[in-house]
Amino acid sequence: MPVLKTYRTEALVLKNHPLGEADLLVVCYTRESGKVRATARAARKVSSRLVGHLEPLTLVNLSLTRGRTLDQVAQAQVADSFPALRNALPALSRGLYVAELLDGFGSEASPNPELYSLALEVLAGIGRSPESDLPLRYFELRLLETSGLLPELYQCVECRKPLVPGDHRFTPNGGGTLCSQCAPLGAHLRPLSVRTLKVLRLLHRQRLAEIPSLTIDHQLAQELKATLTASVEHWLDQQVRSSAFLDHLRRTTPAEPATESAAHA
Amino acid sequence: MNLEHLPSTSPSLSRLIDELNKLPGIGPKSAQRLAYHIIRLPAEEALALAEAITDVKQSVGFCQRCQNLADASICPICADSRRNQEQICVVEDPLDVLALERTHCYRGLYHVLHGVISPLNGVGPEQLKLKELLTRLEGGQVKELIIATNATLEGEATAMYIRRHLAGRAVKVSHLAWGLPVGGSLEYADELTLSRAFQGRQEI
Repeated sequence: MPVLKTYRTEALVLKNHPLGEADLLVVCYTRESGKVRATARAARKVSSRLVGHLEPLTLVNLSLTRGRTLDQVAQAQVADSFPALRNALPALSRGLYVAELLDGFGSEASPNPELYSLALEVLAGIGRSPESDLPLRYFELRLLETSGLLPELYQCVECRKPLVPGDHRFTPNGGGTLCSQCAPLGAHLRPLSVRTLKVLRLLHRQRLAEIPSLTIDHQLAQELKATLTASVEHWLDQQVRSSAFLDHLRRTTPAEPATESAAHA
Repeated sequence: MNLEHLPSTSPSLSRLIDELNKLPGIGPKSAQRLAYHIIRLPAEEALALAEAITDVKQSVGFCQRCQNLADASICPICADSRRNQEQICVVEDPLDVLALERTHCYRGLYHVLHGVISPLNGVGPEQLKLKELLTRLEGGQVKELIIATNATLEGEATAMYIRRHLAGRAVKVSHLAWGLPVGGSLEYADELTLSRAFQGRQEI
């Protein structure tokens, strides 16, 4: 069967780069084809019909023409511009963090519909709770799961025995949690408190909108972030650049409320 | 003279082609064409080009106030006492100042950030000329800050960051209007532009 020259798809725009005088290179994530890179001719001109439709963190209906190396955007129509993300800096910076991870973990010509749905679910969650980091932690854990890289949270990666409350440690490159018996083997590794382990299991079992309000103090938030970021950056093999701006915003913002809720829907 | 064989026989020409090739939008073929064009130029014209490049690198710096590119320590706009000293228009780069000056409708001062906050590219507020902007606001002379960053996600992030930093200060912060461009059609406008155009509608 011949391959169609043009195709239509719904896509989440992750980022774009200027290309030449007025063109744009758009990187987006689609349900059917995974990550797609496409050029948009003259999209940087104010008079372009594409302008405004290809901004990062926009869900668009795209019509694409297949090219030898890169596809070309023929038409674009915004399906959802996530206004809740656009109107507040904390939400916007968290949305960009999601976009960067999706760009890093997504691969071209390798569809992962679960990852696509997850990203949309998390962006909606960030819109509901713009100051909360819980949607980001949920995204990191589920991103690892849909990529087949979920860290072990229920049994020790060394002795394979079910975990009982104790002084556990976490090893991103070892695949997850080490029990208190095997922990001395990895004494230099990051400790994983029972509280953190419980929240990680909750994030793994529940959908984001169903997670009840949690009281997450600063220490627990830090431990959750450090544990998941270590895993994500281990598999990504590089630092997540947008996290530096998020950290900067957290430092320059008055103390956040202790209660994190992802379920206001 | 067979120009096709020159790059291998003339190291100085190869060097010129290599240097031109580093310029934005200039590929290897364009670099060769430009290099051959320079060779064919009269000596005084080619030297005038070289001199202009040397001159611009030696004399152009940042204006101490607005951070725009300037030959002197204070640029002509900042030095012009007839301009409204109570308004500062914040732009991303020096080309934006030229675009706004072409409108002849703004008579205040400028501040050039030399970039925008771009978390995905690792560009944070500390890499921009934001500290210098806050210093300018300390005197209390400035009454209004007009943010004129591009209507892109990064431009908006920068605008929100500035607004957030100035919360509680006795300075009015405004933003250029969002809406339809002249010659634009409603049919092809994105929903965000249209909704903002509605919010910012004016009585006629």
